[in-house]
Amino acid sequence: MHGHGWKWLLCTPALIVLLLAASGPLLIVAVYSFLSPGNMGGVVWEFSLEAWFRVFFRRDIFEPDLVEWNRAHLQVFWRSIWLSLQTTFICAVLGFPTAWFIATRPRHTRTIWLFLITIPFWTNLLIRTFAIQEMIRNNGTVNAVLMWSGLIDSPIQMMFTEFAVLLGMAYVFLPLMVLPLYAAMEKMDFSLVEAGYDLYASRLNVLWHVILPQVKPGFIAGSILVFIPAIGAYVTPRVLGGGRTMMLGNLIALQFGQGRNWPLGAALAMLMLVVVVGALIFYLRVVGRNDEARRG
Amino acid sequence: MSHEIDITGLSKSFGQGAAAFQALKEIDLTITSGEFFTLLGPSGCGKTTLLRIIAGFELPSTGTVRINGRDVTSLGPSKRPVNTVFQSYALFPHMSLSENIGFGLKMLGKPKAEIRATVDEMLQLVRLEAMADRRPSEISGGQQQRVALARALAPRPRVLLLDEPLSALDLKLRKEMQSELKRLQSETGITFVFVTHDQEEALTMSDRIAVMSAGQILQLGAPQEIYNTPVNRFVADFIGDTNFLKLRVKAVDAGMAVLELPGGKAAQASLPDGMRPATGALVTAVIRPEQAEATGADEGDLHATVESATFFGTDTHLHLTLADAQGFVLRRQNRPGQPVPAPQSRLGLALAPGALRVLED
Repeated sequence: MHGHGWKWLLCTPALIVLLLAASGPLLIVAVYSFLSPGNMGGVVWEFSLEAWFRVFFRRDIFEPDLVEWNRAHLQVFWRSIWLSLQTTFICAVLGFPTAWFIATRPRHTRTIWLFLITIPFWTNLLIRTFAIQEMIRNNGTVNAVLMWSGLIDSPIQMMFTEFAVLLGMAYVFLPLMVLPLYAAMEKMDFSLVEAGYDLYASRLNVLWHVILPQVKPGFIAGSILVFIPAIGAYVTPRVLGGGRTMMLGNLIALQFGQGRNWPLGAALAMLMLVVVVGALIFYLRVVGRNDEARRG
Repeated sequence: MSHEIDITGLSKSFGQGAAAFQALKEIDLTITSGEFFTLLGPSGCGKTTLLRIIAGFELPSTGTVRINGRDVTSLGPSKRPVNTVFQSYALFPHMSLSENIGFGLKMLGKPKAEIRATVDEMLQLVRLEAMADRRPSEISGGQQQRVALARALAPRPRVLLLDEPLSALDLKLRKEMQSELKRLQSETGITFVFVTHDQEEALTMSDRIAVMSAGQILQLGAPQEIYNTPVNRFVADFIGDTNFLKLRVKAVDAGMAVLELPGGKAAQASLPDGMRPATGALVTAVIRPEQAEATGADEGDLHATVESATFFGTDTHLHLTLADAQGFVLRRQNRPGQPVPAPQSRLGLALAPGALRVLED
């Protein structure tokens, strides 16, 4: 069509940003993972598979031929995936009633509730995380209240546990679940709910057979928005989890910092990318399947 | 004839205090088993609110609803032997037509074989057998309408509630669905409660009609009764076309009045119950456009001048001015070779006996 040829030019600024800020660094990270570490950090331009080897395995210090699984790494991988899955689940369970509440308010008050949901974004993540620490540390607010009320005699250890990390991540990522769920619910035809009740469905059946299928796209979007940043979370596990509940993000940061092993950090980062993309494809296949099979 | 639905003292208010809006005012209504009952009125008259209270979607502020003798006022929609056809159809978009139709039975916990048999029967009833596996988004509006009907009929409710189900369809499809609805109603024997603002739809389909306005039932009766003997000006105006004439009373006698017509002649008009206007008073009299006949200019009860004529295919509407400048519309059936009177030509009008009625304003 006439004038169609130049319209792609409108995309060029965005393409340039993407190229410089996403594809370029990604390429550098990919290349670094196949190089050797420099003594003071950085890389030596020497091809090596050592970094990728060390992602999964470790050599005995005294007998380099003795190879075993790198359990510490595997534990971090597993913890990252497991905590992220739990975070996603918690956000979904807490986010659904919240989004439902907002979507069923009168139209003019919904904006106020949505506004309230976004307020936490106004404050720096680090400060909010320290605030949680203040709440849950041994002589923090929660323990103080519990001890004052006589429910417990000695403080409950919450800091530096997986619970602390989970709490922090669920708090930070909850809005990312609420907003897409709300968007899906707002589009929902509420007469479908009435039709469900009219056709003898119980509350649970209306939820399961009528509402959930309608808001499924919101759940998919919300889960992706929560799971991806959760698996790479750095600040929350660092502040609330400490060294014992290290996650993938902290492990990668360690290699670029004190560890002085940039190629290993790069290889771990690439691995995370592969895990996330893989999980995404798997998730969309499994969750999206029902629809396509029916439509087919 | 047994009572299907008994409504007593039913009121409904929305909002509180000064902003409160009373949607229904002390409604008493009995709907008989197996009848095609229509709630007719302009938008905002409360007809949909009344339907939603019968369905269980709204709680009345006062009053009770009984279905088949059982008080269901406080029961939710899932506990009433009533199904609804929604104005928007409200078909479940993620389910096939079969799943939609079988949903009610599934929720009632019927065995799979029975559900399948009923769904097949319903698909046949609404002639959509070939489309059982399609999604609602893959069929036309008229077909969606039929699926909504089949879905509501499948659990064999005692009462089917229809909330302006035909308003989204084009004229031709609407006519088809009107006869389809009548057929389904007589085949199933289920009581239909039908909400519409379309007076023609109400007249052609209903056994009985309740004409509503501002939260009240103004008149309840068979279509002929409502059309021929409207109780007040609102009903006369809302149902069909009507000529309203301001006429002077010459004499009153046993439910009849003699009125003075423009041009000096007199005609008898029936009076509503209990109304006894004084001689010489001005009253409103009504006459339907088809209940007068054109005659020669010097004959008939009234004399009129033709202002314009509108051709409607089956008939022609003549817009006339009477001797005292009041307007009058005459509906004349078209016949081959009949000339359309030219503007400013004069003609006479013969009123059909009993056609003229006095109404309370």
